[in-house]
Amino acid sequence: MPLDTLYLAETPEGIALALRPAGLVARGLAWMIDLAIRLGLLVAASIVLRALGGFGGALLLITYFALEWGYPVVFELSKSGATPGKRIMGLQVVMDSGLPVTPGASIVRNLLRTADFLPFLYAFGAATLLLRADFKRLGDLAAGTLVVYSESVTLHGALPPADPMPPARTLTQTEQAAVVAWAGRAPRLTPARFEELAELADSIAPAPQGGATAPRLLGVAHWLLGHRGAPR
Amino acid sequence: MRVEALALQLRPRPMAEAADLGVLLVHRHARSLLRTWAPLFAVVALLALATIEIRPWLPTLLLFCLKPWLDRSLLFVLARAVFNDETRFADLWAQQRTVWWQGLLSTLTLRRLSPWRSYTQPALQLEGQRGKARRQRRAQLLAGKRGAAFGMHFVFANVEIALCAGLAMLVVWFAPEGLHRNVLSWLWQSAGVGNQLVLALAYALVIFVLEPFYVAAGFVMYLNRRVELEAWDIEQEFRRAFA
Repeated sequence: MPLDTLYLAETPEGIALALRPAGLVARGLAWMIDLAIRLGLLVAASIVLRALGGFGGALLLITYFALEWGYPVVFELSKSGATPGKRIMGLQVVMDSGLPVTPGASIVRNLLRTADFLPFLYAFGAATLLLRADFKRLGDLAAGTLVVYSESVTLHGALPPADPMPPARTLTQTEQAAVVAWAGRAPRLTPARFEELAELADSIAPAPQGGATAPRLLGVAHWLLGHRGAPR
Repeated sequence: MRVEALALQLRPRPMAEAADLGVLLVHRHARSLLRTWAPLFAVVALLALATIEIRPWLPTLLLFCLKPWLDRSLLFVLARAVFNDETRFADLWAQQRTVWWQGLLSTLTLRRLSPWRSYTQPALQLEGQRGKARRQRRAQLLAGKRGAAFGMHFVFANVEIALCAGLAMLVVWFAPEGLHRNVLSWLWQSAGVGNQLVLALAYALVIFVLEPFYVAAGFVMYLNRRVELEAWDIEQEFRRAFA
């Protein structure tokens, strides 16, 4: 079994969902961005509230409390399911069943930030992120939540034009996906590398002696995508 | 490189996700790492700690400066681990000329200052290029990925500080009732050898635990970059399906 970071969640309908849990690097950076935002808001609030004297000081303490405890919960329950820092890093908080995070779970996972904060500066939280394969910290364990990557990387471009042609044999789904992915990668690869990869799949695009394999395999890719007839 | 023999599932990933995969790589090959990394690091750490009599801050500085050199052994083990090869100390010993002594000067000087050393190190250590080709390779790896590589380094540097501080705080917490304040001021302010030894030990322990993760994260990010540049994921699929 090749090593992968996927987390398999099963829906009540028996469908296996592969979630991509996020670990130390992405979450560490997201946390730092959020910290900077909270600090910025706090500094702004203190400048405004200083004018109010003692009453302002009390308001400032309330603001601090609200920022510390409310900020993550409010943003996690919003539509994007992520604080601004997480959003910048392309992360999202979900239940470990793949469903959107519930208010109760969001509150629990953020209350337990104190447990991760101890003994000092999130040392415990960092340790759990390094030691668990699903990258859950204590709060995630208690609330049954998961921080996942919400965006995927696409290296695909448009397919170069070619005459559609059927493959020499029936292809499985993964094989079809691989051929189409190869074709979509054309703009990123040198022609030599593109051809080198095509020759690995020579057997499904047989042709007269000589000549490059890439144009024929491209034709197969177009055929797999449902293009028939004249070149596009 | 036998791409089809790689024991990692290749697909286009964000750089941070590749770093996470590095963490799992350390989990899976913890045994190989322990067998090679523990004895090597024990020797280096003991030698470094022995210098505490000369200057109290010297062990910490020595460990800090030696990290890029220590990383080379870790990368050697991890580069075999991605092909599911176990490593014993004898394997490392047999390769010591390339792993330990090649490019020693740059490892201890320039590499120490690089803010993304674990990401570019595989290109320097494993690809075996020199001179201009090597500089071009490094620039190609970094193009557009400087931020991600530095971000990873930055996170690990901060975790290192947090873990060190956490360990030091544990010492304070285990102090007898009512003496916490005294222990704290002893730990941070006294100029003796005892407290510096505790801090240096905590630092050594953190390096021992964290450095494999850091090197693995950079290494898998490097592999991820090659997936992007050379379509390794497609090569892997094609070789599995059609070869």
